[in-house]
Amino acid sequence: MSSSTAGTPVTGAPATGTPTVSRVPAVLRGRSELGVAALLAVLATIVAWDAAHIKQLSINVGVMGPQVVPNIIAVGLGLCAIALTVDVLRGGAADAEDGEDIDLSQGAHWPTVFGLAGVILAYALTMEFLGYVIASALLFYGSSLLLGSKRYLWALVIGALLAVGTFYGFVLGLGIPLPAGLLTGIL
Amino acid sequence: MENLSLLMDGFANALTLQNLLFALIGVLLGTAVGVLPGIGPAMTVALLLPLTYALDVTSALIMFAGIYYGGMYGGSTTSILLNTPGESSSVVTALEGNKMAKAGRGAQALATAAIGSFVAGTLATGGLVFVAPFIVSIAISLGAPSYFAMMVFAFVAVSTVLGSSRIRGLASLFIGLTIGLVGMDVTTGQPRLTFGQPLLSGGIDVVVIAVALFAVGEALWIAAHLRNGKPATIPVGVPWMAKDDWKRSWKPWLRGTVIGFPFGAIPAGGAEIPTFLSYVTEKKLSKHPEQFGHGAIEGVAGPEAANNASAAGTLVPLLTLGLPTTATAAVMIAAFNQYGIPPGPLLFETEPLLVWTLIASLFIGNTLLLAINLPLAPLWAKLLRIPRPYLYGGILFFATLGAYAAGMQTFNIVILLLIGALGYMARRFGFPVLPIIVGAILGPEMERQLRRSLQISSGDPAALVSEPVPVVIYTVLAVFLLVPPLVKSIRRRRAGTRTGTGGTDGTGGGGAGPTIPAPDAPDSSRVPTRVAQTHPEHHPSAFHPDARA
Repeated sequence: MSSSTAGTPVTGAPATGTPTVSRVPAVLRGRSELGVAALLAVLATIVAWDAAHIKQLSINVGVMGPQVVPNIIAVGLGLCAIALTVDVLRGGAADAEDGEDIDLSQGAHWPTVFGLAGVILAYALTMEFLGYVIASALLFYGSSLLLGSKRYLWALVIGALLAVGTFYGFVLGLGIPLPAGLLTGIL
Repeated sequence: MENLSLLMDGFANALTLQNLLFALIGVLLGTAVGVLPGIGPAMTVALLLPLTYALDVTSALIMFAGIYYGGMYGGSTTSILLNTPGESSSVVTALEGNKMAKAGRGAQALATAAIGSFVAGTLATGGLVFVAPFIVSIAISLGAPSYFAMMVFAFVAVSTVLGSSRIRGLASLFIGLTIGLVGMDVTTGQPRLTFGQPLLSGGIDVVVIAVALFAVGEALWIAAHLRNGKPATIPVGVPWMAKDDWKRSWKPWLRGTVIGFPFGAIPAGGAEIPTFLSYVTEKKLSKHPEQFGHGAIEGVAGPEAANNASAAGTLVPLLTLGLPTTATAAVMIAAFNQYGIPPGPLLFETEPLLVWTLIASLFIGNTLLLAINLPLAPLWAKLLRIPRPYLYGGILFFATLGAYAAGMQTFNIVILLLIGALGYMARRFGFPVLPIIVGAILGPEMERQLRRSLQISSGDPAALVSEPVPVVIYTVLAVFLLVPPLVKSIRRRRAGTRTGTGGTDGTGGGGAGPTIPAPDAPDSSRVPTRVAQTHPEHHPSAFHPDARA
């Protein structure tokens, strides 16, 4: 692992020169990745803790119990956390993903991201009660508006059509039942 | 020629009217979804997977073959007509393809991509027909230690060869392995990482992981940085080529096939290296090297062929060994598991008709693709103008549907969101996504093989090198991991003037080309280590972690 850490700053060097996605002061720029290292460390702890709590049954004692691989993974995660921390502190970084619709010259627009996450979470919590059609139409409507659609009526119509079409496509076409929820008896 | 007669049986099984219809639907849907910006082949396959749930295995696999090739063709259309490519395997196609489109030669670029894909796909599937039974005959005699070693090899390959940072690749891999741990331990039935949640005891569905990483993570990441204003797409007519274009294309197609197939077939994965090698080769051999960087047709023909040939090549380890080495192959494993037919050497023994039907449908899908997509190209180009709020809203719509349908549990949607957040993080910090999914899929399988090896030897770790295959693999890995850093340090000491490397900003392969040791290109035995060590330096952004492939 030491060889890989040593190699990375060279590879990652150009990335620090390109405009990155951040509005934080230059001193801290790029260091937000330390959060990822922390996440790896937390994961390592959870996996190790969980492995330690696997019941010791006679069947486990044999050659290799169910706790061996989790322990190896926990160690791996821990080593990655350390190596990543060192790498980030040395100024290593990889390029953020670019693409057709991605404009990396602006900072991340958090209201959109958290809004979308909230919409998905609300969908998960209410879908079985509202039914597939209503919940999915609202999911599409909500995400389109969050993503900047200004055609408030159109987005709702498209969402409703998509949801009804998918519902019947699955129920009639594929024979996979989706919950009807509030619209039970109507659809 | 036993495989030929088996293949004929496969054709007989696949060529019913109903199955042809499924192939047609698969090709059309695969292309339509694959063309959409931001959707690579892996996401296409993952999003369309629920459609095959209700079909019988044969029809589902046939439709799948259509979706697979359709999704890839759609991706190359996108990279030719839109400036920035969406998936790592189409990066090279975009270099010349988009220049051609801008110069009003979009129709020719699409044509050489489509016909080249057909030629390469057909030849490489033919290669699969002959290579696969041979590998199966070897694989069937291999024991657990060999399988364990091959999986280690696949892990190291996907996490360190691709992407620009080894440490980030390894971190991704371990995150994937952690996701794979969730659920009941197969050998002893002990719950691991389930936190007392019964819905987790069966593990996290691979479809949910794939859709979360590729669709939700991508949509969230794009949503955070959505480009304002209308994307500059280029309208295009029906693809066609003049005599001169054919003359300049056919050799690159064949060379691309020869380069692409072996790279796909060794479980080291990815179309990035072969497409790039093909580009460099064509540039070197072209009679018009001055056109490279301004829209040279060879620069589209070769890499496109290499891309498709390597995609067919990845089916070799997938079908014969059960080793997925690309994101798309990883999703395909999920599809196979859905039907309870895990790929591997036994599949050829137990379900020969099924395997050969799948291979036959690859030929059929490829042919349909060419026949349908040439006339439909102008229509596909229109899809590129779909308003982005609807596009990404629609991706979330179908992603949640896919996750829900994978187990009819809204709990899956919560998992989808969590792993989607992980996908966002990976894109933000340039962590490759491929090792996550490959780790999650192969992790449990690798543990099983490891335990089996040690059980036979009653705990003696020497069992892991008790067969010739693991010894070879571990030696190769050692060389592979140690040589590039050594070469690098030697070079750094020697090179005074020749290191114009790390400074390139990665705006295009045209600038990076000359510094690559091109004369070595066809020598595939030497290339992997060289490439692994050179290309991330030369090409930081274009050869980006395999996020959407």
